Amino acid sequence: MKQKHFDIILLLSVIALAVFGLIMIYSSSYIWAEYKFNDPYKFVKAQLIFFLISLFIMCILSKIDYHLYQNKANLILFGCFLLLVLVLIPGIGKIRNGSRSWFGIGSLGIQPSEFAKIGLIIFVSKYLSSNDKSIKSIVKGIFPILLIIGVFFLLIMLEPDFGTAMVIVLTLVSIIFISGVKLSFFLKIGLVGLVGIVILIALAPYRLERIMSFLNPWTDPLGSGFQIIQSLYAIGPGGLLGQGFLNSRQKHFYLPEPQTDFIFSIISEEFGFLGVLIVTSLLLIIFYRSLKVSLSCEDTFAKYLSFGLSFGLIVQSLLNLMVVIGLIPVTGVTLPFLSYGGSSLLVSMASIGIILNISKNH
Amino acid sequence: MFLKEKNVRIKISFIIVIVLIMAIIIRVFYIQIFKYDELNELAEGLWSRNLPITADRGLITDRNGQVLATNITTTSLVLIPNQIQDKEQVAKDLAEILGTTYDAMYKHVNKKTSIERVHPEGRQLSYEVAERIDNLNYDGVYLLRESKRYYPYDNLLAHTLGYVGIDNQGLSGIELAYDKYLTGKDGAIKYFSDGKGHRLELSEVYEAPTPGVDVALTIDLDIQLAVERELDNVMSKYNPEQALILVMDPNNGEVLAMSSRPNFNPNYYQQSTTEIINRNLPIWMTYEPGSTFKIITLASSIEEQTVNIFKDTFHDSGSIAVDGARIKCWKSGGHGSQTILEVVQNSCNPGFVMLGQKLGKEKLFKYINDFGFGKKTGIDLNGEGSGILFSLDNVGPVELATTAFGQGISVTPIQQVTAVSAAINGGKLYQPMIVKRLLEPETKTVIEEKSSTLVRQVISEETSSLVRYALETVVNSGTGKNAYIENYRVGGKTGTAQKVQDGHYLVGNYIVSFMGFMPADKPDYVVYVAIDNPKGITQYGGTVSAPIAKNVFNSIISIKNLPPASEVTPREYTWLDKKYYQLPNVYGMSKKEASAAIKQFKVEFSGVGDTVIYQTPAANIYVEEGSTIKLLLSN
Repeated sequence: MKQKHFDIILLLSVIALAVFGLIMIYSSSYIWAEYKFNDPYKFVKAQLIFFLISLFIMCILSKIDYHLYQNKANLILFGCFLLLVLVLIPGIGKIRNGSRSWFGIGSLGIQPSEFAKIGLIIFVSKYLSSNDKSIKSIVKGIFPILLIIGVFFLLIMLEPDFGTAMVIVLTLVSIIFISGVKLSFFLKIGLVGLVGIVILIALAPYRLERIMSFLNPWTDPLGSGFQIIQSLYAIGPGGLLGQGFLNSRQKHFYLPEPQTDFIFSIISEEFGFLGVLIVTSLLLIIFYRSLKVSLSCEDTFAKYLSFGLSFGLIVQSLLNLMVVIGLIPVTGVTLPFLSYGGSSLLVSMASIGIILNISKNH
Repeated sequence: MFLKEKNVRIKISFIIVIVLIMAIIIRVFYIQIFKYDELNELAEGLWSRNLPITADRGLITDRNGQVLATNITTTSLVLIPNQIQDKEQVAKDLAEILGTTYDAMYKHVNKKTSIERVHPEGRQLSYEVAERIDNLNYDGVYLLRESKRYYPYDNLLAHTLGYVGIDNQGLSGIELAYDKYLTGKDGAIKYFSDGKGHRLELSEVYEAPTPGVDVALTIDLDIQLAVERELDNVMSKYNPEQALILVMDPNNGEVLAMSSRPNFNPNYYQQSTTEIINRNLPIWMTYEPGSTFKIITLASSIEEQTVNIFKDTFHDSGSIAVDGARIKCWKSGGHGSQTILEVVQNSCNPGFVMLGQKLGKEKLFKYINDFGFGKKTGIDLNGEGSGILFSLDNVGPVELATTAFGQGISVTPIQQVTAVSAAINGGKLYQPMIVKRLLEPETKTVIEEKSSTLVRQVISEETSSLVRYALETVVNSGTGKNAYIENYRVGGKTGTAQKVQDGHYLVGNYIVSFMGFMPADKPDYVVYVAIDNPKGITQYGGTVSAPIAKNVFNSIISIKNLPPASEVTPREYTWLDKKYYQLPNVYGMSKKEASAAIKQFKVEFSGVGDTVIYQTPAANIYVEEGSTIKLLLSN
């Protein structure tokens, strides 16, 4: 194993995206921040702190040999499990936007489901790499891992946090996919997923409303269609080159909390189609560079891990973008590196840190 | 081998991601480029708030562009509750300035609406009040320009012009009938607001209001002024219940003047009752026309050749028996033996009964219908009456007899004027017109020129010329003498109609009228005067209405500077009347010869010499006995 420098393009892209995120968090949040907290810099300051912490953690993780996770995978998963259970207990977990998904530490919050994402990717990568032979058998090889995924999915859905649960499931299934499981298995799992979604909708009819509002947001413009209409009102008038930095109008109390899930709308409004191209390109570069790392790995654990981490990021990005532009119903996932949110940024940067470490070793 | 398969699957997943990202980019492109206009407009509607600026209404002018209805600029108070900070203080101050209660103003200031008008206290404010509000300098308190209708001639043509409500909407007359054209498109000051209604520091957009289309009437302001003046005189002289005058150009149906009393001031319409405002008498009122209707019977008889007005005679004994009933003539003892022309001149009722009988009910009623009675004329105004005719099945000998001299039927003034215009203009019935053209408000270019509508040819040109002749003799030698104007040719017919109340004729309570036209040989003006129950005078059309019509004709002569007629029929004089003599031509005569030739007049010489080189008035003009004739002398 010869010592290599880590992927500088990947690192620069991530930092560029995160810094752009900071700028856009300021632009989209200062109206609300001033109104609610009398401090226009409230959100951007908090995010800046998280950014510095995340940067520090990314550097640390890029220096920690990834084999550590392989060895401690079970322990890490158990820790995540504990946190997910704890967060459901009223008094410990805090409710935000209707989900009991937060541990409050002062004004900052930690979302255990975000960390469970990494924990599960590590665990699944380790499981698949150490059972390379037995995964040919669905029952013996795959069912146990599906069971574990199912338990975690259930826990997260209890919060409930449908978006994160979706990201996790899609990511883990994609790792199983590249591990070489027969394609017919994915047809079956797709069928099961479809049935599952129907059951989930039956359990909570508001999800159906969200789907309906996605199909035609104008049927209920003040209710379920509200967010998507407000988002389109931001994206549409952005046009080719946008309204210009700080000139968004939809952030003036039209689009709720524009600095979180719908930050892409404000980017589209202020920087137009050009801004959209830049953001999507950076996301794609990050994904591409990460996959290159994964492709170059001969160690299957490293291959699975780097693929899982990068795929997790891109899946979350795609889900967020598709929601914001009205291609799929509102699911409630943040845009990695750009959206306001400490846990999201921390976990995203941590993922990159691990990938950077893997890239250094291959 | 095995790793290779994994790498293939990684590449597949990359391709899937690429496809999805492309889909996202295409979708964004679609939203931002193709749906841009639609979404931008919708979003503008969300962000922008409009402070309305009322548009000017189109002007209403007479046929020559004289402005009859215009606009003045006032200011109105507009509140944007979300922008008002100290609501209590603002409510207190505004209530004090506008003289409302604090509670009422507090409600306005706190209304959950984007824009609140303080109605009506805050509308059309005077300059002083607006100034005081402006000086307060409160956020969210705006003074906006508001256009207010103004009628510079106050009561003039009031019923026809109509009036507008507080929101500048036409409520009667032309203002209502042409509201669609007169109404402009309001403009706005557009500003951008945030989701909570506060004003954003973004540029405002000013959308200029578009004024409404100008409407030019067929009315001639000068004639209208003369008509209004006459009506005012009538009111003060005779104190009638109602009075009206209608002037029409018989050659195209254009109404040149129309007015009635009682009337109102559209600037202060609130001070009048709706009855007065809504009753535009020349088109609304229906009543028995009386003798003016005989024109129709006469025209029909001549057209059908049932009589020869010069040769046929009729003996009036003072009454005529019809189907067991006695119909009296207005003159007790009757007119004796007369030619039909004299029957017309005397307005002899039994004579017209005979004319009706000779025509028969089918023909008489055919002409009555052809002349346009019994249905609306279709003039461009609301509130027109249609009148009432006997239905043909119900016409017995008595109904035929009374209809022939204008009793037992009910008509509107506009129907009569339109019908008589047809009777004397060569037989063409035109639809009466009040609007002449529509004009573009800025450039005054004509958008639409209204042309006259020929309804039908009712009688022949020959018949019409006989009717003109007969009616001119009415003025020269008959009951219409009081409308005679020296040197001009006037035709006409008087009318004295009894009023019906609860199925009975009222005693000593008449609508006296005169229907006249000028020049009698080729009429350009038809004047109709009707006065309802004049007091302190014998109630005959000839005594009350004919002189008023004469005044209107005289006004038209001086307004239009009409030349005297080349030949006129002298009037028959009684010993009461002043005599008029035709002035001979004294050009070239010596001083002495001239004095002898015009001895009935006073003569005033000027210049030096013995030969007359100029005389005024000109030769052949009829001049009142004893008037001064000026002669210029030279060698």
